[in-house]
Amino acid sequence: MKLERYEIKAEKSLMIFEFVSEGPKGKIHKLVQFGETNLKDLFNLAFGDKDLITGEINDSIVSNNNDSDKVLATVVATVYAFTDKYPNAWIYATGSTKSRTRLYRMGLTKYLTEIEEDFDLYGQRVGEWESFEKGVEYEAFLVQRKNT
Amino acid sequence: MKVKNLNKSKLPIVRIDNSLEKYKGKVLFKDKLDKANDMLKTVGLPKSRKQS
Repeated sequence: MKLERYEIKAEKSLMIFEFVSEGPKGKIHKLVQFGETNLKDLFNLAFGDKDLITGEINDSIVSNNNDSDKVLATVVATVYAFTDKYPNAWIYATGSTKSRTRLYRMGLTKYLTEIEEDFDLYGQRVGEWESFEKGVEYEAFLVQRKNT
Repeated sequence: MKVKNLNKSKLPIVRIDNSLEKYKGKVLFKDKLDKANDMLKTVGLPKSRKQS
């Protein structure tokens, strides 16, 4: 994915990343977390806006900062950084709403060829995982870095 | 390789920021994590090409 992206910062374990979205709404600090789930080696990918005053994280806010492609490319870059450190990790992701999940699906579909060069990508549908296919509506997504 | 090109490579340059250490071990997106755990309890994992 050769899209423009934001500079990324992280803590040492590379499980929490931060970047700053810049657009008409100003600078919005975003946090990305790869959270440990109850399944070994499976991490939940979540990201949201950080309120600089309260320190709270909001993952349901719609920023409308006119940079959704750049934000998505930056989140994908964190997936590369994370899976470079943890090559056996599975990463689970879903949107906080159906429309956001659809937005993620559209992003994955748009760059599917590039993504599949480096990752095995699955979509969850009717309680099952299947290889991700264009045009199919999924409830959640799962990726794992391919062997290099 | 020039820094500009490095920035465009798939693997990004990540600057370590110690101020982010305060989030380590904290669940920042609890609702999402709970939802993921609920889902994974029934769905599990697909068969992987790799075994960890």
